[in-house]
Amino acid sequence: MRVGSMVPDAQYAMQQSQAALATALQQVSTSLRVNQLSDDPAASANMVSSLAESANVDQYTKNISSLQSQMQTADASLSDVVTSLNSAITAGTSGASGTVTLANQAATATQVQGLLSSVVASANTSYQGTYLFGGTSSSTPPFVQASTTFTSSAGSTATPLSMSTLLTPDMVTTISDAATGGSLVYKASSPETIGDLATAITNAVTAGTLSAGTTATINAAGHLQIGPNSGTDGIVVSTNDPALGSMTAASGTDVANSYAYVGNSSVNSVQIGDSLSVTTNLPGSSAFLGTNVMGSLKGLISALQSGSSVQIGAATAAVSTALNAVGETRVPLDNSISELNSQETFLGQETVNLKTAQTALVGVTLSTAATNLSQAELDNNAVLAASAKVLPQTLLSYLAPG
Amino acid sequence: MSLSTSLSIAVQALNADTGALQGTNNNIANANTPGYSRQTVIFQEATPTENGSLSMGDGVVLEGFQSVRDELVQTQIQQQTQSQSGTNAQLTTLQQIQPAFTTSTADIGTQMSALFTSISSLSAAPANSADRESVIAAGQNLATAFNTTSSALTTAQTGLNTQVTQDVSQINTLTQQIAALNPQIAALTGTGQDGGTLEDQQNQLVLKLSALTNVSITQTNNGGETVTTGNGTALVVGSQSYALQTAPSGSGMLQVEDSNGKNITPTLSEGDLGGTIQTRDTTIPGLLTQLDSLANQFGNAFNAVQNSGFDAYGNAGVNFFTIPSTSSIAGSAASISVGVTDPNLIAASTDQVAGGNGNLTRMTALQTAALSSGQTPGATYSNLVYQVGNLTSTATAESSATAASLLQLNDQLSSVSGVSIDQESTNLIAYQQAYEAAARVVSTIQSLFQVTLSMGTAGAN
Repeated sequence: MRVGSMVPDAQYAMQQSQAALATALQQVSTSLRVNQLSDDPAASANMVSSLAESANVDQYTKNISSLQSQMQTADASLSDVVTSLNSAITAGTSGASGTVTLANQAATATQVQGLLSSVVASANTSYQGTYLFGGTSSSTPPFVQASTTFTSSAGSTATPLSMSTLLTPDMVTTISDAATGGSLVYKASSPETIGDLATAITNAVTAGTLSAGTTATINAAGHLQIGPNSGTDGIVVSTNDPALGSMTAASGTDVANSYAYVGNSSVNSVQIGDSLSVTTNLPGSSAFLGTNVMGSLKGLISALQSGSSVQIGAATAAVSTALNAVGETRVPLDNSISELNSQETFLGQETVNLKTAQTALVGVTLSTAATNLSQAELDNNAVLAASAKVLPQTLLSYLAPG
Repeated sequence: MSLSTSLSIAVQALNADTGALQGTNNNIANANTPGYSRQTVIFQEATPTENGSLSMGDGVVLEGFQSVRDELVQTQIQQQTQSQSGTNAQLTTLQQIQPAFTTSTADIGTQMSALFTSISSLSAAPANSADRESVIAAGQNLATAFNTTSSALTTAQTGLNTQVTQDVSQINTLTQQIAALNPQIAALTGTGQDGGTLEDQQNQLVLKLSALTNVSITQTNNGGETVTTGNGTALVVGSQSYALQTAPSGSGMLQVEDSNGKNITPTLSEGDLGGTIQTRDTTIPGLLTQLDSLANQFGNAFNAVQNSGFDAYGNAGVNFFTIPSTSSIAGSAASISVGVTDPNLIAASTDQVAGGNGNLTRMTALQTAALSSGQTPGATYSNLVYQVGNLTSTATAESSATAASLLQLNDQLSSVSGVSIDQESTNLIAYQQAYEAAARVVSTIQSLFQVTLSMGTAGAN
């Protein structure tokens, strides 16, 4: 076969080997086998889901870190409550003894009042602005001093509110009863009035959500008055309705040692794995109301103040029952904390596994990259050497000049 | 038979060898000229002189030069060039599009993942305003990623539309030049001569034309060429060229029309113009449709979950993404945006309480839920990534394969038509020696003339 110029072939071979050299160099410098989608379309597509999974695992790990602190704070608060209850039991046992004077019993009652305050403080523990025992209503303290009567800031003698005064649609008025532990959450619709709210309160009393005697009336000063609550523990009223203004406890109506729960019984769950969630909060309704922690302490205070050994003994027994109940409510919380710890370990391993899988998908080991580079360099050298050898070869080189 | 006849034969030989040297010189001079076909010298024995029963050779005549060609290989090169140019046009655009889908800090997959992780983070502290802000920022980043990717596709499409005009303009210039050469070649071949240089020029023009579009070449009897597009639309007939033109189509893109105004766009499948049209009208719209569907379906699915929950004010959630309705999917990726600016409007809860996170769980579940297309958002995007990668990879492989094939064909053509310096050097030596020999004959005859002339004078002295 007749052979024409070898220049195009040499140029093509040089181009190919230089492209291979550039690829090998890129692999060494980036440690990646896939530097653009076309290098391996399937691996590139798989990387999308793998990277999303990595991001999820990172976020689960962050969630765990955040929740560990939050839940450990809640657990520490409950631990404080346990300590307070144990102290109260000790005080109650001591107070029930027939040798204790009335004066000492009164002093013990004051001591238990301090313990109750401490328990309330624990129940109102917040972590980074979130009240831990408020259920999902976590932006305000869940346990509030109860009063028998609340009045609105809106209204005056000159322009009194009336039963026909319109409420603002979608605004909410909440009445929490310390005795029943129940709450009436009233969301106004158009064109509801204070009279409709009053009817709802009456119905709630009938249903047992609110204690007997809780009513809505317009007082002499033209304000809405909710109460007087004839129960022994009082209520807490709040509203965001501008038609009512703010609701504040009427002067002198606070119920000593009584606190109403203004949170709710809802819980939040947070994902800490692709198919694993943990419940992150313990509502005060179950941790404190259901266990009768505050009620039992209030009862012990009253018993100590009464001086009756029998009553003190019974009240102390009630505190013991509450202590046991608190211990039981801590179990799920402790289990969740334990689950967080084990999941954190699992996610740490999962992160490693994902990184390994991603390296296998698009990465290249340094040794392989270096070998590829050496091979490409060798090939390129061979092409250049062969071209340098062959291209200058012509008959002219052998013809004598002149 | 006489010395004069011999001298005449020697002079003819000198002339023939001079011509051969000139032909060799021309070959060497054009050794690197693209499209040049080497020429061979055609020597012809002169008609012998009859002298009675004696037939005497009368020397050599230089008949002319003949270009050496292989029309079959030439045609194959044209076809491969069409194919390669079409592939390269697609490859160039795909390489521009590819980075928009490559995993980075700003691609859709990364931003979608970031949105879900921001929601997961918020679920741990649903009332936290900083975490709520982060969700809005992540949503905006995702919307921007959709906008940017869509823009990369439409920008490439617009660029290709401009390329159509340029290609058509070049095609018209080339067809004019080809048509202008036809009568010149016909004139040469009509006198029995080889088209030579003119045919080389025409072949080069046809090759350039092949790089632009799919053409069919028919050799005419007089050596010229008739050029038509793939579907038979005439571009060159004899000395007449027929210009293509562009006109806006219903889609807003330019369509290519023949000289009669007939739309021939769908028939242009190869060459730069064919590849450009294929990418502009099929590849990019296909990707855009999928991208728009993803943006639309994801945005609407997210809004549906947002609408089912309650914001921090206790109100039902309003749309998070602003997006065209499901009935108007086109343009969704380009126009999607976040309509919520107040972080409290994120509908995190299912119980109308600001601290609830029930609806955030539903939002994160979207990551693994099938869209109306039947695939999860991540899988849909992965599929797009695969398609872009695969299209680019396939085009790269095709381009490499046609380049290798073209190299082989050019080698094949070069083995027939290419100039070999070594061969020309040996020819040079051969013609030089022949010339020297002929010159020596002249010199010898001159001596013989001298001897002959001195025959009379020798006796007189």
